[in-house]
Amino acid sequence: MEDNTSYWQDNLRLIFICLAIWFVVSFGFGILLVEPLNEFRLGGYKLGFWFAQQGSIYTFLALIFWYTKKMNDLDKKHNVEEE
Amino acid sequence: MNRHTKTALFVAPILILGGYILSDMYLENKAHENKVIELQVEGSCDVINQQCVLKSGEFEVNVTHHAGITTVNSTYPLDTATVFLVDENNKPTVYQLGMKDNPYYWKRETPLADLVANHGNKYKLRLITEIKGGKYIAEFITQTHR
Repeated sequence: MEDNTSYWQDNLRLIFICLAIWFVVSFGFGILLVEPLNEFRLGGYKLGFWFAQQGSIYTFLALIFWYTKKMNDLDKKHNVEEE
Repeated sequence: MNRHTKTALFVAPILILGGYILSDMYLENKAHENKVIELQVEGSCDVINQQCVLKSGEFEVNVTHHAGITTVNSTYPLDTATVFLVDENNKPTVYQLGMKDNPYYWKRETPLADLVANHGNKYKLRLITEIKGGKYIAEFITQTHR
């Protein structure tokens, strides 16, 4: 029971980290901080614009794989991995 | 593909769509807020010789005067455009411009040519343009160089 709670707490922590990154990248970098980020350039594009158009999507894709890896690690730690 | 990959692939598009919808709502709401932005003259301003560009970020307005008609041309479509001719006593005369073909061009007959007809003549103008409730304003001097 205690191990289940610990597993669930770690799972929730990971989900909140993912959601925080999702919010910061999409809403923070793409909208709220777009003007200061536009002072910098990436591949010819203003950085704030780039995050709004492409960067956030790349980050979301990376998050999918990162979340999967971390969850698999968590499964192993708690001995509940899939066969 | 294990269960976590499936979960992540299922949830990610929902979050992407959620982010897109929330961002769109936020920006739409922000666009309708009243805001006042001051335009700056690029270089010097000579309306009679078609050399007067006012700028703020990527928004640019070109103010010209030809054959008795004052024209305002902007990089974004405008809702309204108003020109004020301000005399030496700081008293403004208002000229509400009318749309010319499309919302990028606004014009109206004004006596500006008579006021700055000769080389070296100066006159103060004010401009107010509106875009979705936001106001771009400028006060500038036109000086005839030729």
